[in-house]
Amino acid sequence: MTYIEKPVVPKVVKLEEPAAKERKILNMMLNTGSDIYQGACKKRGSTLKDEYRKVCGVAYMDPRDMAKLGVTNWDTVKVTTDWGEVAVSSVHSRDAPHEGTIFIPKGPWANVITSHETYCCCDPTYKGIYCTVEKTDEPVLLMADLMRAVYKKYVDDEETIPELKSLGEMPVYKKK
Amino acid sequence: MAYEPPVTDYDEIVENCTCAFCGCNCDDLDYLVKDGHVVGVRHACRLGASKIMEDMDQRLMVPMIRDETGELQEVDWDTALDKAAELIAGAIRPIFYGWSETSIETMKHGIRLGELVGAVLDNQATICHGPSLQAVQNAGYPIATLGEVKNRADMIVYTGSNPMNSHPRHLGRYSTFPRGWFRQRGRFDRTLITMDPKYSDTAKMSDIWIGFEQNGDYGFYNAIRAALKGKKIDQDYVSGIPKEDIMELAEAMKNVQFGALYFGLGLTHTLSKQRNIDMAIEMLTDLNEYTKWVLTPMRGHFNVNGFNIFMAFEMGFPYGVDFCRGYQRYMNGETNTIDLLTRKECDVFMVIAADPGAHYPGGAVKHLAEIPVIQVDIHWGPSTEIADVVLPGSFVGVEAAGTSYRMDGVPIYMKKAIDKPETCRDDEWIMRELLERVQKIKDQEAAVASK
Ligand code: SF4
Repeated sequence: MTYIEKPVVPKVVKLEEPAAKERKILNMMLNTGSDIYQGACKKRGSTLKDEYRKVCGVAYMDPRDMAKLGVTNWDTVKVTTDWGEVAVSSVHSRDAPHEGTIFIPKGPWANVITSHETYCCCDPTYKGIYCTVEKTDEPVLLMADLMRAVYKKYVDDEETIPELKSLGEMPVYKKK
Repeated sequence: MAYEPPVTDYDEIVENCTCAFCGCNCDDLDYLVKDGHVVGVRHACRLGASKIMEDMDQRLMVPMIRDETGELQEVDWDTALDKAAELIAGAIRPIFYGWSETSIETMKHGIRLGELVGAVLDNQATICHGPSLQAVQNAGYPIATLGEVKNRADMIVYTGSNPMNSHPRHLGRYSTFPRGWFRQRGRFDRTLITMDPKYSDTAKMSDIWIGFEQNGDYGFYNAIRAALKGKKIDQDYVSGIPKEDIMELAEAMKNVQFGALYFGLGLTHTLSKQRNIDMAIEMLTDLNEYTKWVLTPMRGHFNVNGFNIFMAFEMGFPYGVDFCRGYQRYMNGETNTIDLLTRKECDVFMVIAADPGAHYPGGAVKHLAEIPVIQVDIHWGPSTEIADVVLPGSFVGVEAAGTSYRMDGVPIYMKKAIDKPETCRDDEWIMRELLERVQKIKDQEAAVASK
């Protein structure tokens, strides 16, 4: 069969390469879903840790798209959809080539920008969402900080959120 | 990865435990136990082992309630349970969501509580395989057990699913690699096909990868059906796949002795949702005119299928069951958690062994930030950040026994291996307590009303 050839992709595409043209902002398609690193970290319970941010707060990108945007591994990009925007780290995808598509493992970061639209079928649309990707200086937040910044359940004054102290990587509660 | 020496420092081995992670429910695990903790796991995959050897830093140990400053405060069990019962008893449109990572025994009390207060009972199927259950209602369910596939199948197809990442032992234990009664040479006697737009880890080890376009599933299955029926395909490419290849594939699928198709969230999460699966099932119906084909959804959690089977048996509907009128109702897009939350209908949300904070789209979580949330779970997760009452449960399959259903509908009794932390309680106990306390409040209300 002709369509089964295994694709090859160079590890790093440099900007000087003729095919790559630098751009400020890319129009892409976003897919989310589970991934073995995300699954292992989530179910072990280590969701507050930096480790969780490293496996879920990332956008797996095609190296060619990364070259166009001028980002390398662990640079920060902002992904925007109709439903929100979030800062995540850009990393090389293991499954490249998939130019024009990014993959964010399911988790609090992906949730901010996925669609809750179920079209009366009970299931939200987690895959195939149009998005834009651009370089940013905003930090990638830890899980607890992200939940506070996005959903603001227990903050009185929303203006102060950027100045609040980070909730850190350990559970915070008052002991008896 | 650095070399890690095998664990040799342990007191005892507990054999034949069941993994409480994915729908494969591998029931051949051995736990190495030292001082009442699992320090090593044999036979499990990376996912199973990491869950069983949990991160104790984030284990929920004590019941907690949010105080006025918005911080969680440790309280005793009575206070926490009373507070939760009060919220549930006073709710108008409560949702009890989750259940997929706990035992059938816990669900039993959950249903009674739901009936008592007129709640909506829903599980993770609502955000994963809900469309599959709808498609099964539309088009049928040609299912087989995993054992049958192991012994007979000579063609395995994964579509919209990446088991090497989400069900790592599925290929090794059930479908592709093991030697079966009629497949004595194991992997060499089987053809493995992956259909996925992504060149996933499963695709990398398959014999054939069909990388159709994003959202191309529906068109692609239809093209195969046309080929099977001997029709001519007009276009040169369907969903990005050349028509000659589609004809060749249809021919190959027709000429196997026993085929098994496994499908995952790639089908249910894209735009055509249950219609994709309708079409996959119809494709199988067509194939079954020539040979034997079966299909199974790749269920994610170890007991997500259990809730659907249990609910369908008890109440007639698999998930999203609404008791608000005093009898059970089920209406897609109406009585499902995401729809209820985005319509802002729900006023008290109880989550049992699930993590909406990690898995719901932001639009739905936003409503959770406006209403009281009760959490029954074992780990501090994104949902704890938005929870008002936290009740620490126990780990089914490790610290508590219970029944679960594998992805193919085989019930498995999961045994208990170690004791739970002293301050935690069994999920079953928590549900029973809540039921009794809510019942008491309702009885008092009725007594006052009748005076
Ligand atoms: S395949 Fe699934 S059930 Fe089996 S050990 Fe891995 S996570 Fe557990």
